Amino acid sequence: MDYTQQKRIAVIATVYTYLSHAQHFADRFVVGYPYGGHWVRPNTPIVSLYVDQKPAGDQSVDRAREFGFSVYPTIAEALRCGGDKLAVDAVLIIGEHGSYPKNEKGQIQYPRYEFFKECVKVFEQDGRAVPVYNDKHLSYSFAKAKEMVDDAHRLKFPLLAGSSLPVTWRLPDLELPLGCQIEEALMVGVGGSDAMDYHALEAMQCMIERRKGGETGVQSVQLIQGDEVWKAGEDGRWSKELLEAALSRSDSPQGKTIEDGRTQDLLGNGELPGLVKEPAAYFIERNDGLRTTLLMLNGAVGDYCFAAKLKGQELPVSNQFFLTPVPNVTYSACLVEKIVEMIYTGKAPFPAERTLIVNGALDSCLDSKVQGNKKLETPHLKVVYQAPAESQHARF
Amino acid sequence: MAKRPKVAAIATVYHKYSHAQHIVDRFLEGYGWNSRHHRPPMDLVSLYVDQVNPENDLSPDRARRFPQMKIYPTIADALTLGTSSLAVDGVVLVGEHGNYQTNAKGQRLYPRYEFFKQICAVYRQSGRSAPVFNDKHLSWNWAWSKEMYDLSKELGFGFMAGSSLPVTWRTPALDLPWGAQVEEGMCVGYGGVDSYDFHALETLQCMVERRQGGESGVKWLQAYRGDNFWKAHHERLWSRELFEAGLSRSHTIAPGRAGFNDTFPTIDELKQLVKDPIAYQYEHGDGLKSTMVLLNGLIQDFNFAGRIKGQAEPFSTQMYLPMPPARTSLANFFTPQVNHIESLILTGKSPYPVERTLLTSGLVEAGVDSLHQEQKRIETPHLKVEYTAPKESTFWRT
Repeated sequence: MDYTQQKRIAVIATVYTYLSHAQHFADRFVVGYPYGGHWVRPNTPIVSLYVDQKPAGDQSVDRAREFGFSVYPTIAEALRCGGDKLAVDAVLIIGEHGSYPKNEKGQIQYPRYEFFKECVKVFEQDGRAVPVYNDKHLSYSFAKAKEMVDDAHRLKFPLLAGSSLPVTWRLPDLELPLGCQIEEALMVGVGGSDAMDYHALEAMQCMIERRKGGETGVQSVQLIQGDEVWKAGEDGRWSKELLEAALSRSDSPQGKTIEDGRTQDLLGNGELPGLVKEPAAYFIERNDGLRTTLLMLNGAVGDYCFAAKLKGQELPVSNQFFLTPVPNVTYSACLVEKIVEMIYTGKAPFPAERTLIVNGALDSCLDSKVQGNKKLETPHLKVVYQAPAESQHARF
Repeated sequence: MAKRPKVAAIATVYHKYSHAQHIVDRFLEGYGWNSRHHRPPMDLVSLYVDQVNPENDLSPDRARRFPQMKIYPTIADALTLGTSSLAVDGVVLVGEHGNYQTNAKGQRLYPRYEFFKQICAVYRQSGRSAPVFNDKHLSWNWAWSKEMYDLSKELGFGFMAGSSLPVTWRTPALDLPWGAQVEEGMCVGYGGVDSYDFHALETLQCMVERRQGGESGVKWLQAYRGDNFWKAHHERLWSRELFEAGLSRSHTIAPGRAGFNDTFPTIDELKQLVKDPIAYQYEHGDGLKSTMVLLNGLIQDFNFAGRIKGQAEPFSTQMYLPMPPARTSLANFFTPQVNHIESLILTGKSPYPVERTLLTSGLVEAGVDSLHQEQKRIETPHLKVEYTAPKESTFWRT
């Protein structure tokens, strides 16, 4: 790939403050980032920026001054760099952090859809579209997310979206064989909803999408909470063997380990229910019959671990998605590398449908949560796609 | 071995996050391994602790919860289980942490050699020996390190030693191609003299030992510190390309400027962040030059970079330490090490050569000596330690 040609970037952000997603991502385009044993200095300058909110600690003005770009009052002006035609080669939409209202499902209503539609309007008016990166999930609403993906297909521009978890280092460096037969999959996550459950679901999705036949969409979801989660384990609704496998990859068990440093068989020693005050299980059944479960286990561990049982294998496979230390969070550099790849190749390294289906599964799980934890059929989530054959996570 | 092997643990101290706690706990409590909570197929039956501080000593709690393990007042008793001859099938010697004196050169005088001699005395008296794992370097004193090595040969037991750096996760999960022609090697790490320098040296050694011809020993070592370091760096006594490749594998570069979270330091920022840089540079018997760099204030991880003949780009990786308490609650880099100790005890053979650690033990001492003698070059004819690395990788990959 010829990276010598300069590509001009517009950044559309909710806020640009220290350790906001916008700062993590946009900064890497101007100061470079570590990848593949190099400090990569991409030939992709930021030429324009739109920030929706400027709270205390706003860095947009300082960054614009230091790195020679302009901050525009509207998204359209940012994309046109103050002129009358689209004047950038790619757009980064980073709608994470900032002060936005939460809905009754607990979703923060970040205006990613609205930002995206402003971009689409410019693309349509100017008769040209450029690659778009959308940070995290597309929208809190599946309908809006679906429209975004449909827009990208209609206007034929590459759309890359999602979390850093699918592209970060894995401990061990596990990739499921393309076309494998998965009997069951389980993910352990921690943190709040609807931020960290999203990351965990997308981490699981990037693994299971490689199964035989590819992704077939989601048939039904159910989110259960509290003691029902443990009971469901006893009833075999989620696999204890897979939970043991996922927990075996954790570097951060809580409880007795915090007290005196000991290793723990958290499932076997019976400590789990005492540690996790508010467990939640997200049951997501696929159209091809695959059962997948996300267990949010705040209080038990502090990391994100995956496990799956492959047909014909005695032991489960498992890995930790390695969230590298703060403040560097070099895992986001892995995603920036993918953005740069998309900008130069004109092709998203992995399909936005991955994020779309996670978007939909999460949205429906939260519906289940507010509707008394009932099981919901999800015929609208027939998101069908094939995983890229080549691995996209950090390996070299 | 039809029955489950019995293991004795000999430790300086046993408190939270001491090496003994990390290692012995994994035998007692088990640990995550290959998608299971693995329980070693052997019984840790005896424990000797040299220094017991009632305020933080965990050994009574462990003895209470694991009745198969008894605490003994002497090393000999721990090995004989209070009888008159050797009654265990393996010994784990963890002489790290605890209140021990330092000498004029600043070396902490951990009694690993003394403990080892007592172990060997039981072996001689019993007419039988058992495999020994020695945590970290053999001894602070080269002659004693060499004697430990020689005793293991004389008494004919499997001897494994060293740091967990060679066996922990790597990002990326790559090993130096076996038999590669290595033109230069470097470890960019952090920590202090006579402590983490050993880990950095093992990081470097576990990679360069895989080169064509195997390890040929070390002819000389020179340390650089402070202004001498910057002068050597400026004069490119070590490769700038490898230095930058190693740093680019770090997950922890301290930002040189407020308001930024991940930047590559300029030389001015490097000098501002790293108040006391240290390098040990040394030449191997076959002419290879290796450099270990400690950059306290800049990074908090260990990264290897090497130049391989015929390859346009440096080969580099990070040996990742999930280090508690800041990042994790478990120091899981001890996990693959304990798994290898199990293999040592089950097979009687060390999974990787103890000569690596014999050499790095001597290199630590040479580094300390050079720093203590105005950073002069130390000739090391005694470090003609020759060995061949196993072709199969021994770091954590599964």
